[in-house]
Amino acid sequence: MNDFRLAWRNIWRNKRRTLLTAASIFLAIFLALIVRSIQTGWFDNLITISIQSYTGHIQIHKKGYWDDKDINNSMVFNDSLMTLVRTTKNVDKTVPRLEYFALSSYGKQTKAVMLAGTDPGREDALTHLSRKVIKGKYLDIRGNGILVSQGLASFLGLATGDTLVLLGQGFHGVSAAGKFPVSGIIHIPSPQLDNQMVYMNLTTAQDFFSAENRITSLSVTLKNPDEINTTVTDLKDKTGTGKYEIMRWDEIMVEIMQQLKIKTAGGMIIIAILYMIVGFGIFGTVIMMTNERTKEFGVMVSVGMQKTRLAFILVLEMLFIGLTGTLAGVVAAMPIMVYFNIYPVHLWGSMAQAFISFGIEPLMPLAIKPGFIVSNVITVLVIVLLTCIYPIRKAVKLRVVESLHK
Amino acid sequence: MNIIEIKNLSKVYDAKTIPVYALNGINLAFSEGEFTSIVGPSGSGKTTMLNLLGGLDSPTGGEIMIDNTDITGLKSRQLIDFRLRNIGFVFQSFNLIPVLTAKENVEFIMQLQGVNKEQRDRRTFELLKSVGLNDKVNTRPNKLSGGQQQRVAVARALASKPKFILADEPTANLDSKSAENLLEIMEKLNKEEHITFIFSTHDARVVAKARRVITLEDGKIVGDVSKN
Repeated sequence: MNDFRLAWRNIWRNKRRTLLTAASIFLAIFLALIVRSIQTGWFDNLITISIQSYTGHIQIHKKGYWDDKDINNSMVFNDSLMTLVRTTKNVDKTVPRLEYFALSSYGKQTKAVMLAGTDPGREDALTHLSRKVIKGKYLDIRGNGILVSQGLASFLGLATGDTLVLLGQGFHGVSAAGKFPVSGIIHIPSPQLDNQMVYMNLTTAQDFFSAENRITSLSVTLKNPDEINTTVTDLKDKTGTGKYEIMRWDEIMVEIMQQLKIKTAGGMIIIAILYMIVGFGIFGTVIMMTNERTKEFGVMVSVGMQKTRLAFILVLEMLFIGLTGTLAGVVAAMPIMVYFNIYPVHLWGSMAQAFISFGIEPLMPLAIKPGFIVSNVITVLVIVLLTCIYPIRKAVKLRVVESLHK
Repeated sequence: MNIIEIKNLSKVYDAKTIPVYALNGINLAFSEGEFTSIVGPSGSGKTTMLNLLGGLDSPTGGEIMIDNTDITGLKSRQLIDFRLRNIGFVFQSFNLIPVLTAKENVEFIMQLQGVNKEQRDRRTFELLKSVGLNDKVNTRPNKLSGGQQQRVAVARALASKPKFILADEPTANLDSKSAENLLEIMEKLNKEEHITFIFSTHDARVVAKARRVITLEDGKIVGDVSKN
């Protein structure tokens, strides 16, 4: 009879109690995994939407642009930069943009706008901008027609075919002024952006801001987003230090990341409360299992079992219960996670519409990441081991004569 | 040859307030092959004496030399190891491990000693046969009668090949037939295999079988009679 078999038999002395304790662990880990899977799937989707709707996985700017988004911090965009980026391993798509503020005017209305000059073909390949057009037509590669967001058009009273006057400051303080025909109205799900966006052809924007061959950002998407750090390093090596800043999506979307962190923290607090309740349940079992066998422990030590070995057997007993519950929880949660990962949940209502307007299918897959599965398993096992402090202490401090009289 | 020598042994409870002498200046020696009963009224110090002899409790003063080792000077781990290799215990209420079968209970101590499986199996079957339980090898304690459980406990005590066996009122929880049967087995083991037994008891049958009777009263020896 080795220690493992003895521990295994001991836990089945009181089947109902062992099963109840294992069931509480099972339920906790099952719920934790499903919640984390939904939450992670949801966040991954949000990040994907943000990446695919504008930022890309990586952005390249002139060094200092991110801290001071001024057109004078724009960079020269030429074939050599494009070739250098496009020939970097793992780079998929690239979109050059010239972004700056201007004052728009139509009739008696004026409003500050965010003007984005972009390559229509590349922009559509990355962000599916053409799918956001609700009236008129998408940008033409040669024409000077512009796309105006729905909220802005509504404020100014604009319709397709109307002409919008734009005024601003161009590169090196040159005055920028121009009249642009509205070729299309687009709907952007974000109300903030929908009230201020104007898209135009990159060359038209460069002419308007007197910034020939200049861009403020080059957005890059990757074939394998998991290798983003390697790609950033490769790009930094290729472009050299000092000239450009190469930023990951999580450095660009700081606000979204903060929101996700807050929501993740909220989820983690709920899971922590769940684990705390389960922890007290396990502790109750440990106290009962220990105290009802004090006399037996005394006998074992009397006949020659070292107290440390007795403590080891008690830890094994709790680990067996913990592992039984944990494995059952993982085994039960995995098929559900795998199923909804392969066959994502179909969203409905306004949420589905928001996804569609971004050009993304309204689907929400559950995430399966070894990281959160392993961390939940480790959390439960750590809780189990913490509750073992009590029996370990009892075993080590055991007074044989007193325990024999229990 | 003496296997146990006790010098000026005392055990005092509540020493800081009103001292109660459970044992007071005991001097004794036990030689190999003894079949000895320690008798006396309740509270006379019988169980305390057995606990001290077995290294389960520590004395307030005095020495207990077992095979030239003063066990009062051993540390906890050393003492547990000493018990494992030198002392067998039979308790009043059997105290078998409920999740182990008769065989496994007997085998348990040999496993703690690190005896290999082949030797363990051989000795376990020999011991269970010697206590008349070779047909109950795979039976758990809850399926055994009190007498059978106590016989398994005797086999367990013998498993480690101890220098002596301490039995604290071994017949107290047994019916007369089972008690007689157990005593016969222990007497046989003592006579045939020269195993030393030291009992604490109230049972007249045990006293009748004992070849030496030590009487305790108020923590002192008031009688020590050897029978021929």
